[in-house]
Amino acid sequence: MIELDVRDLEHPVPLGLAVEAFKKLSIDEVIHMIHRKEPRPLFEILTKNGGFYHSVQDVQGLWHIYISRNSGIDLETFHV
Amino acid sequence: MFNGLSLEQAPPISVVLRFFITLPIFGIVLALLMIAAPDELLTLGHWYSLGAIHLLFLGIVSMGMIGALFQMQSVLGGAPIQNPHRHSLIIHALLSVGITALVGAFVWNIPVLFMVASIALGGALIYFATIMLPLLFGTLSHDTLKGMRFSLLSLFLTATLGVIMAVSYGSGVISDHHITVRTVHYSFGLMGWVAALIIYVAFQVVEMFYVTTSYSDWCKTNVKRIIGSMLAFKIVGLVGNLPFVWVFDTVVAVLLTGFVVTTLKRLKTRKRRVGDVSIWFWFAGLGLLMIAIITYGAFLVLGLSSLVSVALIAFALFALAILLGMMGKIVPFLVWFHLNAAGFMETPIMSTIISTKRLKLTFWFFITTALLALMAPWYPWLLRGAGIVALGLFTVIATNLIMATRLYAHVLKTGTKFSFDIP
Repeated sequence: MIELDVRDLEHPVPLGLAVEAFKKLSIDEVIHMIHRKEPRPLFEILTKNGGFYHSVQDVQGLWHIYISRNSGIDLETFHV
Repeated sequence: MFNGLSLEQAPPISVVLRFFITLPIFGIVLALLMIAAPDELLTLGHWYSLGAIHLLFLGIVSMGMIGALFQMQSVLGGAPIQNPHRHSLIIHALLSVGITALVGAFVWNIPVLFMVASIALGGALIYFATIMLPLLFGTLSHDTLKGMRFSLLSLFLTATLGVIMAVSYGSGVISDHHITVRTVHYSFGLMGWVAALIIYVAFQVVEMFYVTTSYSDWCKTNVKRIIGSMLAFKIVGLVGNLPFVWVFDTVVAVLLTGFVVTTLKRLKTRKRRVGDVSIWFWFAGLGLLMIAIITYGAFLVLGLSSLVSVALIAFALFALAILLGMMGKIVPFLVWFHLNAAGFMETPIMSTIISTKRLKLTFWFFITTALLALMAPWYPWLLRGAGIVALGLFTVIATNLIMATRLYAHVLKTGTKFSFDIP
């Protein structure tokens, strides 16, 4: 899993990093992005370009976004 | 794994850019007016002065803010605007015609142009209300969306009273309540529309762009309530011809001072001190807002008309500073976002879409314009200098926008799309 902790980075740097990582993503890899906000614009970029995501907020208020380009990967199972 | 968000949250780039690109055109007209008639512009209540005020607050500030609202409303989680391209085209056309007619009516004193302005601006705002307000009622989770709703309601009241006054100027029938109507018109325009919207946008973007601590829930909940109730009390005071109406202005001034202090505190203690021209605009804007508050307070005590002029100029420049700072962030983001959403490999990185050099140039033109304009009530010839520098400012803004648009169009036409092997 590719870890992308962007919680201390100012908008829109996290989006740029996530999109660059997504473009290089292999078929069996998953990106785990940790963000202080839910990056809604990113979801539009992902879904329009064959990506899949699952976003979930933890008890501390941080967002965990799991990204892949393989519809066969169940992203919900990655969050513990 | 789609979690229920619309795939089409963001409106097309043209929806926002058409408002932004019109802004420097009105800015250049304003700059020419400053060069041509500085003395008239500094005379409160002069027709040229009213023309300049409406060029600034409608043609520049409101044009930019309405464009930004099209983007923010949906991205913040409000219901997406259906047919945004068509709606924005109609609103933009009506606004442009209305503002041009209104400024022409003030400058050349042509009554029929007041009627044209009334129809076009009234039409634009009713149209805007019918598409935007229904999306902002119902269950809203976001404080900024609630603040936008309050600001839009203030804008419609401001506009309604503006249309009433334009009709009375056009027909030559001025009512006994004209001064009250005018005071309520500019109070709601400046505080309910401009200040409240900037504060609620700040609640969202300061934390997001500069990684600061968030504003307190008390602020997010109560700013609109305090501004709204003070404006309502002010109307009652004005209509009833009651004394001490200035108390309501003072409460709003204290609130705005609190906003300046809390925002400065957050910006000064931000986690990452990354060089960013937009933060210069925030510091400048907050400083200008304090100048506006202090000079307005001094006017209430001393009664010097030059102090009202300084307060109004400083307030307008505060709004312009925040708008320009935000545009420097929004425009590169929109170009980057829409090219990436379309899957182009050649999407430029955001920092190269408008170069830092040109953003810095924009800032220094702005600061020079501001300093000259603030001294102009005592040295009117300085307003001519401010106009010349403002000509440079709006030319650079136009260049920034045109070059960003051309870059977008170039990638759209010649770029290649990235693709994955189908699993």
